[in-house]
Amino acid sequence: MEITKKISDKFDFIIFIIVSMLLGIGLIAIYSATNAHPTAHGNFQKQVISAAIAYVLFFTAYFIPYKTYRFIAVPSYFISLLTLIMVLVFGKTVYGAKSWISLGPVGFQPAEFAKIGLILFLGHFLTRQRKNPNNLKDFMLIIIYSAVPILLILLEPDMGTAIVYVMITAVILFWSGIDLFWFFIVLSPIFVVFSSLFGIAAFIISMLIVIALLFYFKRNIFTNGTIVVLNLASAYLFDYVLDFLKPHQQKRIESFINPMSDPLGAGYNILQTKTAIGSGGLLGKGFLEGNQTQLRFIPEQWTDFIYCVIGEEFGFIGSILVVSLFIFLFLRLVYIASHTKNKFGSIVIIGALALIFTHFAINIGMNLGVAPVIGLPLPFMSYGGSSLMVNMILMGIVINFYSNRRQQI
Amino acid sequence: MSDKLLGSNLRKNILLTFVGIIGIGFGSQLIKMQIIEHTAYVQKSDNNSVKKVIQQAPRGIFFDRNQQVLVSNKPSYTLQILPAIYNTRNDSIIESILNLEPKSIKEILYAKRGYSKFIPRVIKRNVSFQNLVWFEEHKEKLNGVNIVVEMQRDYSFDVKGAHIFGYLREINSQQLKTQNDIYDLGDFIGIKGAEKNYENYLRGKKGYEFVLVDSRRKTIGKYLEGINDIDPTKGNDLVFTIDANLQKLAEKEFERYSGSLVAIEPATGEILAYVSAPEYNLADFASVTSTEKMNQLRNDPMKPLFDRASNSIYPPGSTIKMLAALIGLQEGIITENTIVNCKGGFQYGDRFFKCHGVDGPVNVTKAIERSCNTFFYKLILDIGLDRWAKYIRMFGFGNSIGLDIANDSKGIVPDTDYYNKVYGVRKWTKGNLVSLGIGQGELSVTTLQLAQYASLLANFGKTKKPHLVKGYIEGFLGEMKMFNYDDLEIPISRENLEIVREGMFRVVNGNGTARHIRLPNIAIAGKTGTSQNPHGEDHALFIAFAPYENPKIAIAVFVENVGYGGTYAAPIAQRLIKSYIENFDADTKDLAKL
Repeated sequence: MEITKKISDKFDFIIFIIVSMLLGIGLIAIYSATNAHPTAHGNFQKQVISAAIAYVLFFTAYFIPYKTYRFIAVPSYFISLLTLIMVLVFGKTVYGAKSWISLGPVGFQPAEFAKIGLILFLGHFLTRQRKNPNNLKDFMLIIIYSAVPILLILLEPDMGTAIVYVMITAVILFWSGIDLFWFFIVLSPIFVVFSSLFGIAAFIISMLIVIALLFYFKRNIFTNGTIVVLNLASAYLFDYVLDFLKPHQQKRIESFINPMSDPLGAGYNILQTKTAIGSGGLLGKGFLEGNQTQLRFIPEQWTDFIYCVIGEEFGFIGSILVVSLFIFLFLRLVYIASHTKNKFGSIVIIGALALIFTHFAINIGMNLGVAPVIGLPLPFMSYGGSSLMVNMILMGIVINFYSNRRQQI
Repeated sequence: MSDKLLGSNLRKNILLTFVGIIGIGFGSQLIKMQIIEHTAYVQKSDNNSVKKVIQQAPRGIFFDRNQQVLVSNKPSYTLQILPAIYNTRNDSIIESILNLEPKSIKEILYAKRGYSKFIPRVIKRNVSFQNLVWFEEHKEKLNGVNIVVEMQRDYSFDVKGAHIFGYLREINSQQLKTQNDIYDLGDFIGIKGAEKNYENYLRGKKGYEFVLVDSRRKTIGKYLEGINDIDPTKGNDLVFTIDANLQKLAEKEFERYSGSLVAIEPATGEILAYVSAPEYNLADFASVTSTEKMNQLRNDPMKPLFDRASNSIYPPGSTIKMLAALIGLQEGIITENTIVNCKGGFQYGDRFFKCHGVDGPVNVTKAIERSCNTFFYKLILDIGLDRWAKYIRMFGFGNSIGLDIANDSKGIVPDTDYYNKVYGVRKWTKGNLVSLGIGQGELSVTTLQLAQYASLLANFGKTKKPHLVKGYIEGFLGEMKMFNYDDLEIPISRENLEIVREGMFRVVNGNGTARHIRLPNIAIAGKTGTSQNPHGEDHALFIAFAPYENPKIAIAVFVENVGYGGTYAAPIAQRLIKSYIENFDADTKDLAKL
């Protein structure tokens, strides 16, 4: 046994460096998007302060004993639920959603911090004695435990964050060994519904994929038939769900499918964002030189559309760098998760991966015009303290588990 | 069931595959957007944030022959609405501020709904300064409402010239369709007179300014310090042949009458004054012409929109007699000494054609001086209809002159074909011809033709096609460019012309029909005429030129429904000639002193 372990064995520099680079690039982009902006010119300084706090939280999460997380899992979940209820009662409405709690001069979004509670709780629940996602009772309990915060968030309403919660639950279930066929049954309607947004052709193709996978699972004809009917029904019922959405969300979905349907309204963001990224070219227009960004064509660019600042001012090189950094981060997280003997730790790492990956996929997808405009920030980069802190805490937890990866319990 | 374990290899691989697919997907989308379709996006981005602002070219202005300004430009404020970002809730407030009819903005926007939402629509021109201030104050709340400075015609130079200059109107959708490379929605285009016929010279070339706009299309600066901007090129200024002072005087003379007047410099065909009365006020057309105003002008029984100088046709009366005399002399039918004894009329068949009085024995000069009908009744019978018509046409009658500012009428020159057509073969007699000898009957002319005829007589059968625009001052270089006009020459010998001119001289300076307009210092030659009007009082006519030896001005005056030419038309001609020649001589003297 080696006495002097290298520091890299205790601390994962790969994740730390990737995350720090993303944070740094994000700050540059925020500076560009808000400099001399009439209302948002102070956002860069605010984000620098948030980043400093986030690093403190990161190291705190890293240094506290890893076993602490198992103890705080249950309380943090219920505290999260409490804050989610509080926000519905006392919350401040920002952009049509009641998602902020103000504590004096600072505000925070409970739905962000509640993510940690859910991940820890699911990890804890699934790794207790004899809990098994393939046991129907346990499975239903997991669904209920996840559904409570999701419903609370939908009441705000914050569609984007609710999707993230669904993804966290789904990926954790997947990772913890749920029967793939069941998993498929649950996910296929979501896939079909999403595809049906793009019209009848996409809907038919998605149904064909579902049927092809059914052949792969080789189940009996009765089961297969039921699943097909289930999928068709969910696509049909989705029309009613659309009515449930706020008008601005309906418009966003419509505009995603056809941006030109409303070029100065909801489709505006998509057109302008794509134009910004596309016009960046290989090397970009240069820092503070992007006309789309500097002429403020994209509203609130420093939050959900921060990626197109990179795309416009730093071009393909900058854009692909950001995507690559994220992909490396995900690969690293999968690697660490599968090398952590501690099952609780492994699930928490995968939960963090699910969270960041969902944000990444939806945010960049919408910036590139291949996903609907769902207001989700880009992890580590978008302006916003709550999201940055939560992500940094999760990374601290991940590295904490990494340094203790050889511990069984 | 190894795949049901936490973090099994299969699950790890599925996750990695999923991450990989998204990563490759985003990567290829980035390549597509930023590398393959890059140029298209750059274009979009430029269009987006760089706005091309059209800079209207100042329209060329009008000068008279002595570089006096006739028509100029003045700035006016125009309210525009950009439908793309305009909120129709503001309709009523704007309408009340501008004193517009309720719903009129809605109507304007509806009428032009077919054009791009990003092209501004003109709502009102000539917005007052007070209103301008109000709109500037409330700019923030009135998105898409803009006040721009436009140039408007300035008619404050005391010359009316409505029928010469014509007017502009906002281009209609039909014209816009065929000429959309030159004009934009809301542009003005000449639709009458010189404004119309010289549109290509006057309009200049639009300039373009590239400005940066933000997401609300608010201008925030110049694009690339304006290196791509193109300055507008001013339209060419037109130099008219008009003499502003003479024109003013002529317009004043016609304030009491309806009729027309054309004065020409005989050697050049340059029209010195051109009046059709009554006329309308061009200033009414400077900004928006209301339909009401237009209808009022259209329905006016005095027809102020009708250009009498080139479109009103009437029998020339006795003014045509010199022509018959010239034909007779040229064809050898008469000589200077041929005498006809006038006993107060002429018996032809069973008809008696009257003379004004009993002139006794007259030769051709005296016949012109006294305007003796008897002499010309006989003469035209000797000439014969078709020979007469041939010569008449040589002098420009029966054909349009091709005036540069209007379509002038041909008039009517009857000949055998004409009478056969109108009355039928053999259904007419030489009696019709007798009337033609004294300028009555079917022969119809315009004042413009009469003025050209007077020029030919003045300048011994040589002139140029009458015209109103001499040339133009090139807008970019400021060079004066002259237009060329066709020469006009008639095959009549100088001796014969001198005989006839002698007659005209005596009309004023002898014992003639216009001796009352004789001037001590200027030798005027002229001929009175009375154009018979079956519908009312006769039209008074007078053609003249002066000075007799070296004519500088030829003139034709036509006064409607007043009576005898010598009484009404001749004094007008006299005053104009006096003014013009005296000024001309004064200028020449000034030049000589220099």
